[in-house]
Amino acid sequence: MQKALFSIAAIAVLLCAASAQQESLPSKGRSFVTFEPLDTVTVMGKKPAPVEFTFHVQEGYHINSNQPANPELISTQLHFSLPGDLAIGKVQYPAGTLTAFPFDPTQKLSVYSGNLVIKALVMTPSNSPAGTHTVHGELRYQACDNNACYPPKKLPIEFNVKITRGSTTPHRKSSK
Amino acid sequence: MNRNVVFVLAVVLGITGLLFAGKFLAPHRTPPAQAGSGNERLTAGDVKGSVAPDFELNLLRGKGKKMKLSDLRGKGVVLDFWATYCEPCKIEMPWFVDLQKKYASQGLQIVGVDIEDIDEKDVVEFTHKMGINYPILLGTEKVADLYGGLNGLPMTFFIDRSGKIIDRHLGLMGADVIEENIQKALQGGSSSAPSSQ
Repeated sequence: MQKALFSIAAIAVLLCAASAQQESLPSKGRSFVTFEPLDTVTVMGKKPAPVEFTFHVQEGYHINSNQPANPELISTQLHFSLPGDLAIGKVQYPAGTLTAFPFDPTQKLSVYSGNLVIKALVMTPSNSPAGTHTVHGELRYQACDNNACYPPKKLPIEFNVKITRGSTTPHRKSSK
Repeated sequence: MNRNVVFVLAVVLGITGLLFAGKFLAPHRTPPAQAGSGNERLTAGDVKGSVAPDFELNLLRGKGKKMKLSDLRGKGVVLDFWATYCEPCKIEMPWFVDLQKKYASQGLQIVGVDIEDIDEKDVVEFTHKMGINYPILLGTEKVADLYGGLNGLPMTFFIDRSGKIIDRHLGLMGADVIEENIQKALQGGSSSAPSSQ
């Protein structure tokens, strides 16, 4: 009797879960780009610390480069919200790959696909007090595939910056 | 029946009751679109046969003039959601221009809805450059939501003369597919349609 009741309970739960799943809509928060987390970036005094932000564009999609081929296209940009007197400078975007897509083989667009590495320098005044700050930022991009385009997105990122008197050592976390 | 059995039975009924209550009593994000008032939000599933949700939006260069979808009842309608950043959308536009000319006399009305947050003057410039000969409306998030979220562009709805959706298509279609759907939209719907030539 008890086994039968447990079976009924399990079936009831599964049926409700399946029913709820059927009604769910595709997520509006769909992301086409992921960020590879950075380990703490250490800045010594006023010597800038180089940092590389690595993103991965999902297979089958592309995003416009920082310098798209035509002015209506939305460029990929990295923006930061900086705590204290931290500064980020010399943001270097890679050149886009000129690619013709099936929707218009006559036109080449400047795009990023696969891995994307954006380089920058993290700086702080020499008199900054030692300590660790969390920098928040976002990658603004707009993705398309071979047939359709998707609304502009903002991918939040964050990383820690440690201000110290030691050497500068940006590290990357081991990839998952 | 011993106490354990009663307890398990109570748990079963409790869980089932809670799940059903959550499913049916919680505010619904997406009431399924049915043939009715035309104000129901479309779902991600099959929308063929559903009444196209009605809306009223500002016309581009309309100086405050609005267009209401339901005012187009009696016509076959192509509702094209697009944006200036969407390259596949641009490919379709010249086809829409040609098809609007070709089928206007049979009661076709193509309507473009620009879904993006940019200055109106940029949209004006863009549509001028593209030689658009059909009305362009300035879309809103509310309308995008009404039409299922519009998570990709171009998103095209073919609507018959009675206001029912013949088909919905995400992404670039061939000109022949568009024309085929236009013919279906013109054939379907109410008898109040203008006579074909």
